Amino acid sequence: MQNIQDEYKEKNRGYLWTRQDADGCCRIVRADAEACTLIGRSWEQLRGLEAAQAAKGLETAVVELGEGYKLWILEPAGSRHQRLAELEHMNAVLEEALKEAEAANQAKSRFLSNMSHDIRTPMNAILGMTAIGLSHIDEKLRVQDCLQKIQTASTHLMSLVNDVLDMSRIDSGRMTLNEEVFSLADLVHDIAVIVRPQAGQKKQELLLEIGTVLEEDLIGDTLRLRQIMVNIINNAVKYTQEQGRIRVRFEEYMKETPAQEGGPGKSAQLWLHFVCEDNGMGMSAEFLERIFQPFERVQNTTASKIEGTGLGMSIVKKLVDNMKGSIRVESEEGRGSRFTVEIPFTAVGQQTTVRLPAGGSIAVAESMDSRAEQLLEYLRDGGLRPVRFTGGMETVMWMTEAQYEERMPCALLLGEQLHDLPVLEVASHVRQLAGRDFPILLVSEEDWPQLEYRALRAGVSAFVPCPLFKSRLLATLSELTMGESAEAEDYVDRHVDYSGYRVLLVEDNELNQEIAMELLEMTGVQAEAARDGAEAVRLFEEAPEGYYDLIFMDIQMPVMDGYEASRKIRALPKKDAQSVWIVAMTANAFAEDVRRSREAGMNEHLSKPVDPRRLQEILQKRLGQ
Amino acid sequence: MEAYQEEYLSNVREMLSYTARVKPAGRPFEEYFAQMEKNRRSAAEKAERNMEILREELFPTLDQLFEIGAEQRKALEDFAGQLLKSPEELDVGLSCQIHRALLSLARLEKDRAGIIRELYWLGIGWNYISNRLVGQELSQQQAYVSQMRLCFTEAAAYLKYYDEIEDSQTRGYVLRCRANMSLGAFKSQSTKIRMVKKTLQIMQDEEFRKKDPMLPWDAFLYATHQQMAASLSHAKEQDMTPQDVTDVMESVYVVFQRQIQEAAKKQMMLPARTLFRLYAVEYRCGLDTLTGLLTKMEELIDMADTADFSAEGMYALISLPAFYCQYLSDYPELIPKRREYIDGLYRKILAYVDSFPEEAENENLFLYLRQLAVTFVETETSVSYGKFLQRLLMRFLPDVYIHSRIVGRTAAALSGMILEEENQYFDDIEWIRAIREPDAKKQAVMKYAMECGLFHDTGKINFVQLYVRTGRQWLEEEYEMAKLHAEIGAAHLAARPSTCRFAEAARGHHSWYDGAHGYPDSYKRLECPARQMVDVIALADWLENRTDAVRHYVGEGKGLTEALEEALAQEGKRFSPLLTARLRDKKATEKIRQLFDEGRREACRILYEEESGKGLFHAL
Repeated sequence: MQNIQDEYKEKNRGYLWTRQDADGCCRIVRADAEACTLIGRSWEQLRGLEAAQAAKGLETAVVELGEGYKLWILEPAGSRHQRLAELEHMNAVLEEALKEAEAANQAKSRFLSNMSHDIRTPMNAILGMTAIGLSHIDEKLRVQDCLQKIQTASTHLMSLVNDVLDMSRIDSGRMTLNEEVFSLADLVHDIAVIVRPQAGQKKQELLLEIGTVLEEDLIGDTLRLRQIMVNIINNAVKYTQEQGRIRVRFEEYMKETPAQEGGPGKSAQLWLHFVCEDNGMGMSAEFLERIFQPFERVQNTTASKIEGTGLGMSIVKKLVDNMKGSIRVESEEGRGSRFTVEIPFTAVGQQTTVRLPAGGSIAVAESMDSRAEQLLEYLRDGGLRPVRFTGGMETVMWMTEAQYEERMPCALLLGEQLHDLPVLEVASHVRQLAGRDFPILLVSEEDWPQLEYRALRAGVSAFVPCPLFKSRLLATLSELTMGESAEAEDYVDRHVDYSGYRVLLVEDNELNQEIAMELLEMTGVQAEAARDGAEAVRLFEEAPEGYYDLIFMDIQMPVMDGYEASRKIRALPKKDAQSVWIVAMTANAFAEDVRRSREAGMNEHLSKPVDPRRLQEILQKRLGQ
Repeated sequence: MEAYQEEYLSNVREMLSYTARVKPAGRPFEEYFAQMEKNRRSAAEKAERNMEILREELFPTLDQLFEIGAEQRKALEDFAGQLLKSPEELDVGLSCQIHRALLSLARLEKDRAGIIRELYWLGIGWNYISNRLVGQELSQQQAYVSQMRLCFTEAAAYLKYYDEIEDSQTRGYVLRCRANMSLGAFKSQSTKIRMVKKTLQIMQDEEFRKKDPMLPWDAFLYATHQQMAASLSHAKEQDMTPQDVTDVMESVYVVFQRQIQEAAKKQMMLPARTLFRLYAVEYRCGLDTLTGLLTKMEELIDMADTADFSAEGMYALISLPAFYCQYLSDYPELIPKRREYIDGLYRKILAYVDSFPEEAENENLFLYLRQLAVTFVETETSVSYGKFLQRLLMRFLPDVYIHSRIVGRTAAALSGMILEEENQYFDDIEWIRAIREPDAKKQAVMKYAMECGLFHDTGKINFVQLYVRTGRQWLEEEYEMAKLHAEIGAAHLAARPSTCRFAEAARGHHSWYDGAHGYPDSYKRLECPARQMVDVIALADWLENRTDAVRHYVGEGKGLTEALEEALAQEGKRFSPLLTARLRDKKATEKIRQLFDEGRREACRILYEEESGKGLFHAL
């Protein structure tokens, strides 16, 4: 009772407490000071009065208190309406807040529902196929088929988890962008290698075009940039019908940025312009408004069969925003979509020059005009004099004449297709005609590993992949015609013997430990294992100096995590505590994880699941010296 | 020629007599069978001897080509020429090897005349090889046609330096290479016609003629007109422009006029080939209807002499019917009215082929038969495609027929055994799944297995030269070409109602269970409902091939026990483990042994009956 009184005290209200007599009248047994003021009488004057009489002219509300007692709430005339209005307003505010809370709750539920569905789907496949595989363990093909399906489902699951992690990092502002030098040519080729097989499976025409490229070496986060582009192209592949058409174009341009106050005058900024357009199912105007919201996917019978987390576009948008770029989507249902991304970059600005036989002729055999035009332009830029043919027969005829007249071109550049003969048949004949030292260069969209055997057998000297970059083309030509070696990447296995080296693997998960041990043992290295950071520190401390050459350290472990273990190892009073290489092994392959592991004293970073080639690289880097 | 070269040629000729069909000639079966077996062994011995000759004599010579004298080089040239000589075509593959080596030598020596000559002969060799794929998909012919065309193109480039070439012979080669650039199939018939037209212009150019009046210009010109005239027969209407048709028409009339003169001189009728080209061009120009053309073709076929085994006779009785059927395939609405004629036509052709003397067999005959097999029109009442193929196998590839029969019987026995243990083993095949009654199902599956075996190698009909007429082991490129038999056989079987069920057995019988090796790529095991049967055929085929001691073109055979062990070692890789599991059952292996032991005799008996005029096909 006191609480109610306190609560309403400020509100210009008075309270009377009454008790009902036998005659039914409510007589005042108590009144507060406000009630006395409102009625205009003292408590003494009010005691024993009939409440209804005393409260005349005031607005009253009566609350039954039980056992004949009642509480009379008195307010000046008109203030109740005001109060009601206030209450209504408050109710509305509360309702709105409730709605928001419910929406947030629904979003959370939807997220969980989506996630659980999306996780359960590949998990079901993994569990189901594992069971089928186990029950047919003697049938190699069946097991192989199951394993392939498990691999597909696992890859999907992995991408789902990665997407969710990305979203979470971006949302919480924990995502940092790397600033590293990357080659646009490498990036485009990586993208081509990733997306071509998927488009190939659907027999889609995937055109990757390169427009004006002002600078090939840029500074930025190549991983995230690739993620943006692959996500967009993958979506195009997914939502475009079989035998559909997808066109992707990369180009660069300079845009002047206005002068900053107090800063230098106007300056030019290099922008990467990326367009991906398809003639697929397209999107409705209504969906376009929601395309960048998490878990939003086109809803129709065709699209519902397409796998996806619904997070990709949302991540793309956030990444582009983080890179201070822009993304634009135009689409029409049934007609296709067009994504345009523009991102500013800093150019490295170092130009490499290649030596070529200036003014020398070069035979170019390619029947596709668009491809040939680009080839000719690049070759002319390189100071060469290209002579173009569209067919193999005319190429061979011209080469024969050139040989007879002793005016052989510096090389033959064979393109993707000829109108009359297969390109490799022509290569093979020209090799015979022109001799074993004559440079024959193949420019193709096909993946080199798939082409290599046939091409080398046909006598092709070198390969330049498409989409075509001028620097690549000219550097390869220079290497062939002037004997200059471009920075050839040496991936050749040097057959280094690691059997004299010892590695400590720190990993708490048994399965992961088993896999990593197997990978390590395949390299010949002697591997020992620890289950957590504490055990690793103990093993290292107890081992003779120089016993371990390398430590592979998991990060998230019970008892002691990898960061702490590394710090403790570095702090040990042993000579090799500072010099032993510690390689962080974690699924968190983000820039800040790398930074944290460096700060903890680790030398390298190896993402999980462990890529055998990367493992080999690290061993080579450390032990192969 | 050197002695080893003479011996090689003689061995090949002798071997051909051993691989030709054996006629019963009133002998009892045992004698006939003994003769067959003796011939096989003799053929294998000759092939083995030829391998010795190649290893000890020819290949070392080619390796040291720089050091050999002019006489030896000349002998090599002659040898290569004899191997290539048409229509015998004793060993085109080996001839190409020799010419390729001689071409390399000429290039190194910068001997222009030598380069041109060798390019010409190498091109001719490739032309013969690519002719073996006439009628097949362009993609299957492309590698061979391209090599031919590139050789001719390079040599033809010297036309620009015609004045600088000193000898007439080399000039002749250059001109012939220019003309031969248009041989073979093109993506567009118009391109081919334009190319021939350009050659015609060169052949008629007075400037060229004046420079070397000794060359047989008229013969060159006439041959080019013939080439132009022939290009119509292969063309589809939509590929040609009105100008193309006009150009072809002109050449047809030139050829026609010449043929009239020659026929008048010899007091003979005009050859069917010439008349057909004339009729075809008239139809193409709108001077006649297709019905009119077909009627004229029927007349030509009917007039042909069934005892004429010359090139013209073969053309009229095999190639012309193939063109006739090609038109019907393009316009199937014309078939019903001609059903009776078609029925009689195939019987007539089979009878003609049956009576064909072995000594007259040559590459032309095989070319026309390939054409006929490709364009075969099957009606409800005609000779079925399956029977037609089997008859061709019996007639020209008896060894393949015997092998196919053994494979069929082995597959049937294996299938029967499997069904006894697992009644639903072949139930991925819809029509087998529909059979409920176990005995009926078993009978149906065994019959199906037998037929799959009989038809799995019918693609080899396209490669008679390789399978029957190669007097040595295959070269790598021949092996590559032979691989096409699976895909080609499957495509032809799939296109006809009576044989479509057996197409996948033909396509997949050289594929591996795990997909790691084998061919062709177009066979996708997991997508094929008949895969279990294809697995059975693949195993039976491999076992039979592996145990054949005298199949000379692929090397030596092994004993069955050893072959079975090898098959088990490839369990889950090359062969289905569900199938090889049966090879551990002694009862099954004994049955296979018995079938292999008796198979040849049994198959030969069928051949004997057939050749004696008492067989199943005799009534056709």
